[in-house]
Amino acid sequence: MPGGSDPLTPLAWQPVPGAAGAFIWPLIRKIDIISSNSYLIATPDVLILIDPGGLPEQADQLARVIGECRRERDRPVFVFLTHAHIDHFIGALSGPAFASPETAVFAVQERGSQALECGDTKLTQADILGRTLPPMKIGLDLFPGTWGAGKNIPVQVAYPNGATVTITYTWSGTDGELPHGRLEFGNSPPLEIYHTPGHSPDSICLGMGDLLFIGDILFAANPGVAGLSGWDQKALVHSLGHVLTLLDEGGITTVLPGHGRAVTAPDAGRMLSAVRTGAQELSDIAELNRGRAEQAAAFAEDCMEEVNELFTIMAGRLYYVSYVLDELGESDIARRMESVIPGDTVDELLEAFSAFADEHHRGRGLSIQLALKAAQVIGKLDRSFRREELTRIIDPTLVDRAGRLLSDYTQLLRGFNPPGELSACSLVTVIEAIVTGLSVPSCSDEDLLSSADDDAAFIRILLARIGARPLLEDIAFTLDADGQSLQVSVDREIFSDLVTYILEDLVGTGSDRITIAIRKEGAYAVVIISGAVPADAVPEQEKTRRFLHGLAGRAGGTMKYTEDGGMRRYLIHLDLLAGGA
Amino acid sequence: MEITTTTRDNAIVLSLDGRIDTATAPALEQAINREIEGQHRKILLDFSRVTYISSGGLRVLLATAKKLKNPGDRFALCSLSPEVMKILKLAGFTSIFSICPTEGEALAGW
Repeated sequence: MPGGSDPLTPLAWQPVPGAAGAFIWPLIRKIDIISSNSYLIATPDVLILIDPGGLPEQADQLARVIGECRRERDRPVFVFLTHAHIDHFIGALSGPAFASPETAVFAVQERGSQALECGDTKLTQADILGRTLPPMKIGLDLFPGTWGAGKNIPVQVAYPNGATVTITYTWSGTDGELPHGRLEFGNSPPLEIYHTPGHSPDSICLGMGDLLFIGDILFAANPGVAGLSGWDQKALVHSLGHVLTLLDEGGITTVLPGHGRAVTAPDAGRMLSAVRTGAQELSDIAELNRGRAEQAAAFAEDCMEEVNELFTIMAGRLYYVSYVLDELGESDIARRMESVIPGDTVDELLEAFSAFADEHHRGRGLSIQLALKAAQVIGKLDRSFRREELTRIIDPTLVDRAGRLLSDYTQLLRGFNPPGELSACSLVTVIEAIVTGLSVPSCSDEDLLSSADDDAAFIRILLARIGARPLLEDIAFTLDADGQSLQVSVDREIFSDLVTYILEDLVGTGSDRITIAIRKEGAYAVVIISGAVPADAVPEQEKTRRFLHGLAGRAGGTMKYTEDGGMRRYLIHLDLLAGGA
Repeated sequence: MEITTTTRDNAIVLSLDGRIDTATAPALEQAINREIEGQHRKILLDFSRVTYISSGGLRVLLATAKKLKNPGDRFALCSLSPEVMKILKLAGFTSIFSICPTEGEALAGW
């Protein structure tokens, strides 16, 4: 979020700008998925609580402040939910303060109201967060199905808490307009409500004076949020357009999200525009339910093992380049190298994830939390390294694979099926290309000599010579194709990654003699990658094997792993194309 | 991470036990620097109980290699786990300092 001073002071009463006689007490939390912000508004006629949050202690704190207000002047209490996700309300179910319509009337858009009254664990996200949900009584359905008939006709409703509310829906029913209603409590400033589905079908924004409460639409296109049960891309894009129009019309100075700090209206406009751009690209994503959260969490752990290794190797390579340059008296360039990947930041991010995953395994965490933590770490890692510059210094295969790993995880969490672009190709040709890329230095002696008269070119090529060390340069390598010219169906990029990971594992484990054999077995082409490893080498870790199996599947094949008498073998089966042998 | 320091003939052996990460790399660097400041310029790191090394740990190793490059200085690692060996190998570190299978092999000839 943009910097600058907060437009509102947390945990303190302050006037609601543009709404004479109304005061707001904001409870603004650090962003997480457990509980939302809460906003309490006091007017002479009513106490309005927007989103009591997901934590009992938060609800208790709010109940205490409400109690103080009522002791000063007794007023009815209404609890509005920006939407019925449990992190916005479930804390209120633990105590008596919000337990009955006599103490507090809940007001929720009709779809959310229905979900709460029948204890729907999917729409409320209780299921994905591993919570149960008792049915709730909702006193005030907002935007009910019948309201179109009463357009511009004020309706007065009396409630068991003693309140009388005048409700006027002013939407004309045309597609280009934001569905809008106005709630009046006596002579106090009115509360405006806007139906803004997309993040959930029941999402609403609320306005009082110059303030606009927007629930979670700022986060609705984020990985791990987009695709939640009830999420609707088209509706979201539509609603974001409406809210942007509302901001453009002026009058709103401060926007209060469901999570995180309040922002000024211009900042909110910029952020919501970016969300809309992101949301427009999210067609056809799968629902993010409990099963997919578990799948994402499992992939996150396997993926993070590899991410950890790749980033440590990349950072190590840069330190190595820096070391050699220092030896050559090029200290300035040496220092510059260390900023291409901020090693300390990367270490801290990876260690934070590792600690989080350990906690998760001790049984205190939920899959969605682990999946979202991975998404957060991966997002930060992705922004942390200067990919283009790095590609010019160290092996591009390392950098590209790291980039693809980060992107694959985000794609999976978003619900896109990871792309498997199978195409027909000659297996020998593909493997020769991979092996050549891992055997030949990226810059030849000739390149280095020809750059001698150009300082910038010389430094560039020198860096690449030091930083890019062909994986197979000191390995006795054999490609045994047995005269086969097999046509297979494979995703070349993913297959190349798979073979490279395997070769890296073999070289890293101490294998100095590696063979890739290609054989035909019935309807399959089989690629056998084998290497002798030291007697004390530990077998490939389960997580690594699972990761490689996943890659093999996405490449269009299957993989088997065997280890016998110090010989490690990876067998990759690929579909042979008819007539391709 | 625990660091145990022992003297073998004219060399210092630092036996490391645990992970070398953001939290522990500074302690390793301090332990090495203490030895160098005490004019011990033959240092062997026993990695037999090291399960993980982060980029911060790699930086400490390079910083030590820079400090111990005078004639007569020695700096080596021994008994690396396959996981740590893989990282050092793929990061290109195996050409900077000696990596030996055992303590005995590392100290032979010092």
